[in-house]
Amino acid sequence: MLVAGIDSGSTATKVVLLANGQVGATYTAATGADPQRAATRCLEAALAQAGAPADAVKAVVATGYGRERVSQADRTLTEITCHARGAHALVPEARTVIDIGGQDSKVIRLDDAGLLLDFVMNDKCAAGTGRFLEVMANRLELDLDSFGEEWLGAKEAAKVSSTCTVFAESEVIGLIAAGIPRPAIIRGLCEAVAARVASMARRVGLVPTVVFTGGVSLNAGVRRSLEKLIGQEIVVPPLSQFMGAYGAALFAQDLAREKAEAAGVSR
Amino acid sequence: MKSESGNVRRLKLARLFLANHLTYFLARLALGPLGRRLRSYQKVAVRGILSELHAAFSGEKPVILASAFVPTELIYGLGAIPVLPEVWSGFAAAAGFSAPAVTASEGSGYSQDLCSFHRCSLGLENLELLPKPAAVIVSSHLCDGGRCSLYRHSRSFGCPFYVLDVPYAATPDGVAWLAHQLERVAQDLVLKVPGLSLAGLPKALAAANRARSEYLAVCRLRRNQPAPWAGSEALNYVAVFLSGWGSPWLPEFYAQLRTHLEETIRLGAFPVSDERHRLLWLNLRPYYSSSIFRYLEKECNTSIAFEEYSHLYWPPHRPDAWAESLAAKLLSHFGWGPIERRLETIWNLVQEYGIDGVVQFNQWGCRQSNGGGRFLADFLRERGVPFLELAGDGVDGRSSGTAQQLTRIAAFVELLDARNTPSPARGTKAIPR
Repeated sequence: MLVAGIDSGSTATKVVLLANGQVGATYTAATGADPQRAATRCLEAALAQAGAPADAVKAVVATGYGRERVSQADRTLTEITCHARGAHALVPEARTVIDIGGQDSKVIRLDDAGLLLDFVMNDKCAAGTGRFLEVMANRLELDLDSFGEEWLGAKEAAKVSSTCTVFAESEVIGLIAAGIPRPAIIRGLCEAVAARVASMARRVGLVPTVVFTGGVSLNAGVRRSLEKLIGQEIVVPPLSQFMGAYGAALFAQDLAREKAEAAGVSR
Repeated sequence: MKSESGNVRRLKLARLFLANHLTYFLARLALGPLGRRLRSYQKVAVRGILSELHAAFSGEKPVILASAFVPTELIYGLGAIPVLPEVWSGFAAAAGFSAPAVTASEGSGYSQDLCSFHRCSLGLENLELLPKPAAVIVSSHLCDGGRCSLYRHSRSFGCPFYVLDVPYAATPDGVAWLAHQLERVAQDLVLKVPGLSLAGLPKALAAANRARSEYLAVCRLRRNQPAPWAGSEALNYVAVFLSGWGSPWLPEFYAQLRTHLEETIRLGAFPVSDERHRLLWLNLRPYYSSSIFRYLEKECNTSIAFEEYSHLYWPPHRPDAWAESLAAKLLSHFGWGPIERRLETIWNLVQEYGIDGVVQFNQWGCRQSNGGGRFLADFLRERGVPFLELAGDGVDGRSSGTAQQLTRIAAFVELLDARNTPSPARGTKAIPR
């Protein structure tokens, strides 16, 4: 049985195909201005990867900001519920999920059964999100992937006091002009994001095990800063970047089973 | 969002309409044939508000501006029309005037840090959309920004300004102190404002008591599952709840509402079909947009069963002791005094109305009651009641993201779905049918 989860995020669209409960394919591409087109492109690419035709997909669940624009979806769910489901499936001992995506960051608390207990999201602005890091990487003429390595190379963190993306960018310009080494600036930026997210996490209670998901989970600099701040090891599971889509695919699997059962009953 | 030129035209029209006798004559006339689309209680409210607007803008009766928690029985009883600038800001937001009003006040030097309800009311004054007051009364409790904002109104209009200094503790001494102030304010107003008298105070308090009895019946009916009144509409009528006490039309309004709810329950014609969850809404709502309420009620089959600001918190008045009664009302507010008082009130509401989850609208505009959010979250979590702090602005739609609010609301409903079991509050009290 083939099912799909589509996470139509603000920055990237992610697709996970599950074939009989196993990950059959994953694909991601920029969402751009048209979430529907991006979702279709990603789904087609994932199907091509899995070597399956489109009509083999028995159920599709969409999540993320563009979820209502995904016409293939049989059902839509918020990314909060999907990240929780995905994280609990991969890390059953997960009790806190920190998800930092392109446009927002959220902290989700789970109970022992993996059910949502509470959640909190960033307010108003891009502070503490992937977009913040993207803008800074651009200003520093650096690839986001190299943040981890640069972070390790820093003897200390430069002070970046503002978490407003626009003001922080001005601060970074000032730090560059003052000759502060780039690794120190990067470490300062990672700490600024981590501080923002850690304070959110404390609002819902930081219960171990803490799992880190979303595109920023791949950023080793932010992960290390977060671990330092919360004083706990953070688990970055496989598929962390695809966690919303993976959770959505698990819900799609339930839906496909329900459909099959209903069809069996009606027969 | 309206264009600038569109706003200017609409503001000119609004000024013209508000000041013109013909507007009210035609509006009353239209309530006949067009009124068929309105429910009986809605007609009572529209008639009452129209007649007060007419009296206020024509100068037929003196207007007294008051902050949101000043007992309006005092103002009606003296023979004046109460105008609550915060409530008018809500009306302005619903009518699409809040953005130009807020922009106008910011343009005249008010910081964006000032409460958006007050920025909006100061802007309404600049745009000449507030009636000229004969006096301004504020209470010192529950709202920090109101004192100075309303003082600005009194300076602009050159009218007397009174502050009711509400003590923190609801003791007999506190009641006496406040009653004394109320008497002094009333006596001074009678001396300074022509047309006012103390004679109408017992009548206003008796009218408030009649409205109170009807309103308590309304509240009992609202405990019904499913909810007989859409919370999105009930949140609009918080304006009437704040500003209508003591008016001659309020008892009839609540009596008609009571009949409507009885009929709704009898016919089973509930506003939210297949009610899945029941929410308690804390603080006010965003008045410029109904998206989140449409989404909750239509897409998620979730009712706002009751609202914190619809909670009747004061004892019956004693019309022969008006000052003590109004002092007791001021001091009875559950949001004043220690936080435990508010927590206890909210817990009672959760139980009485069979609530599954609580949403606190964290108003960026004034941040009133946001400070208690942490206590509230812990308090409800300990009792197993899901709680959502939803951030946004009540009147300034320029700084709120509806999409973000919808995601939070959707996730909260999913959280309630995932539990799939009623909260501990459900079924703990018999719900009257």
